[in-house]
Amino acid sequence: MPSRGMKPLAQRAQPGYYPGFSTLSQKDYWDQATRTIVLARVEKIPPIRFFSPEEGQLMTAVCNRILPQDDRDEFHKIPTVNYIDERLYENRLDGYRFEGMPDDQEAYRLGLRGIAEIAQQMYRKPFIDLDPVEQESVLKTLHDGAPPAGHEIWQRMLVHRFWFLLVQDVVGAYYAHPYAWDEIGFGGPAYPRGYMRLEGGEPEPWEVDERRYEWAAPPGSPSAEFTSVGASAQHKGSPGQGGTH
Amino acid sequence: MLGATQHIELPMRRYGNSEQVDYCIVGIGAAGGVLLQRLARAGFSVVGLEAGPFWDTERDWVSDEASSYNLYWNELRITGGEDPLALGANNSGRGVGGGSVHWAGFTPRLHPSDFRIRSEDGVGVDWPISYEELKPYYELLEKEIPVSGPAYFPWGDPHGYPYGPHPMGACGDILINGCTKLGIRVSIGGPVAILAGSHADRPHCIYRGFCIQGCKVGAKQSTLISHVPDALEHGAEIRDHCMVSRIHMGKDRRATGVAYFDSKGREAEQKAKVIIVCGYAIETPRLLLNSACRGHEAGLANSSGTLGRYLMAQAGNVVLGRFKELVRMYKAPPANALTEEFYETDPKRGFARGFAVQTVGPLPISFARQMMVAKGAWGWGMRQIMMDYNHWGAIALLGEILPWEDNRVELATENDRNGIPVAKVTFNLHDNDKKMIEYGKNKVMEIMHAAGAEEVVQEARYAHLVGGARMGNDPGTSVVDKFGRTHDIPNLFVCDGSVMPTQGSANPGLTIQALAARTADYLISQRSETFTKSTGNTKQPPIRYDLSPPGTWGKGVPRLT
Repeated sequence: MPSRGMKPLAQRAQPGYYPGFSTLSQKDYWDQATRTIVLARVEKIPPIRFFSPEEGQLMTAVCNRILPQDDRDEFHKIPTVNYIDERLYENRLDGYRFEGMPDDQEAYRLGLRGIAEIAQQMYRKPFIDLDPVEQESVLKTLHDGAPPAGHEIWQRMLVHRFWFLLVQDVVGAYYAHPYAWDEIGFGGPAYPRGYMRLEGGEPEPWEVDERRYEWAAPPGSPSAEFTSVGASAQHKGSPGQGGTH
Repeated sequence: MLGATQHIELPMRRYGNSEQVDYCIVGIGAAGGVLLQRLARAGFSVVGLEAGPFWDTERDWVSDEASSYNLYWNELRITGGEDPLALGANNSGRGVGGGSVHWAGFTPRLHPSDFRIRSEDGVGVDWPISYEELKPYYELLEKEIPVSGPAYFPWGDPHGYPYGPHPMGACGDILINGCTKLGIRVSIGGPVAILAGSHADRPHCIYRGFCIQGCKVGAKQSTLISHVPDALEHGAEIRDHCMVSRIHMGKDRRATGVAYFDSKGREAEQKAKVIIVCGYAIETPRLLLNSACRGHEAGLANSSGTLGRYLMAQAGNVVLGRFKELVRMYKAPPANALTEEFYETDPKRGFARGFAVQTVGPLPISFARQMMVAKGAWGWGMRQIMMDYNHWGAIALLGEILPWEDNRVELATENDRNGIPVAKVTFNLHDNDKKMIEYGKNKVMEIMHAAGAEEVVQEARYAHLVGGARMGNDPGTSVVDKFGRTHDIPNLFVCDGSVMPTQGSANPGLTIQALAARTADYLISQRSETFTKSTGNTKQPPIRYDLSPPGTWGKGVPRLT
């Protein structure tokens, strides 16, 4: 079991291969309704109301490993936990619940308890006191479908269902943020202006060219490997949320 | 305000609750919108009850992935079975226009063979109508929508489209390149319900890529912009935020009206001579099941026991490919090009029926969630993949899953906020479905490789929902007749995707709208007979070309006489 801390990446205002690209610089060209909701994401961060203070601390630590932001400076971190809390507080459902799963709120409460128990089992310490590699090692057991503790919890809800719920909520919060769009070179809102360069991956006049450099995750990060979600041979995951066609 | 330039003149006509209207339509989506327009134009009094909002597209819709969640049916449903379906954003709509607000807009027709798969392939069931009976309605709706596509579409019953095709975006180019390398014919730039040129008071597409978040431009058709304005002009009423909880029955085995919760949560009732349920494949069976009463203990229109059964979704595996060059797949409509070369049964493949291959264009959040499954990505791995978002392209399978009795909608033990039992959906893949998916997925991956992708991964998923109240000639094995009249209750109709006995490998949106126009013509041809008689004429009436919304005629390439 790896236990040393990983060497952190240098912090930047804007990670990714599109230096200088800013979707927010285009906000004057967006429609009013879109501008309002996107600017609110940057300026009006919802308070934590669903999670208790202890749960909030643990959930924040979990989110920071599900999508690490160690390479973002303090002014450009994306408050993923606040948006998940808001969804749960407002009881904003995705339109369905898998048979045998508790509701989303209960699933998070149970899941956090499970994570705390795994951390204790593996390291005899609270999750929030572990170093990043240890924290990722704890979460990796959920990814792999083989949690070493909290068995009564995983009897009540399938591990991979909780894993998908957690990861899709965190990526849903992160990649909704204009800072994340800048990081990945996504053009963002485009009404009423539209796009005109459809082919060949060409940037619009206001987008920027990609400038790649050697990028690697901090060495030793368990989350940097790509392995299929555990027990995927036995489970049928159909977590697709957004329609595609 | 609809789109950039369209307006609806308000106030609209209002009917009293105790006033017995000719028609009450439950659900103003793809089918309900077309029915409402036809019946109002023909002079009947019509009230549409819609569970969701009447959109002001400029105010309510956004050019943003995360904040478009209110376009979907997000209230609780339970999903189970061996292969549970994702619901919500994946396959449901809510609000005037329904699913046609957030469909990607592909509008292929069914093939003639789809109507006879029991006779031809020994699987599923035959439709009670033939392709030839639906064909004039396909042609008509392709004008009304109107559809952009190639001048010659070679599959099924070959035909052309009234508006020219769209330019290609990145995923369209990928599909064309891959198919061309492999010698597979491919249709480019459509058929899609997206304007390639301005039409009447609707502007053309601006290629912003947010089709499935609701088209703020007004270029992609929804019945909200194509049919509802004309319906209101002709005296139809739409009550939004009205959730119908029950259909009331009278003494004479006829329905008398519907009970609903209005926008303020108050219970109300609307009396009507004929009720048409257009709630789609889950809410339609749910409403009929929840309306069980003395004499209809198993739910309304369920004497056959088939209500809620034979639910279908299409296999929609998304195949993602990483390219060395930049792709930027967020531009242009996700629905951009397709091939139906594998649509029909090929005995050499070892399974019945087939599949289509179509472009998709996942925006960042959808793409990340696909990678969560396809590569097991999370943490730093997810950050790394997403930094390469602009190098990935996507195309997808659209495969025919057959109708099975055990795939069904039932009532769950949980209730919604109005105290109405919610739907429980059970879904299992059968042997033929699994073989089709395995073969189809590999074919789509082969195309992606041929297009030059250096890494190819895929995510299993499903698209669309149909069935659950299927049409048929035999009242013992189906819920409605070939015009949508329930076998059990003469003034209760179903008109939406749930009546489809099979689904082919075509996106259902066009077929649903064509079936709605056909049901409307039937009802109109019966004049007031449906209001009193207990059986109806079963002859198909002549098509009413004069009931189209304004702007349908004299534009595009004329293909109808």
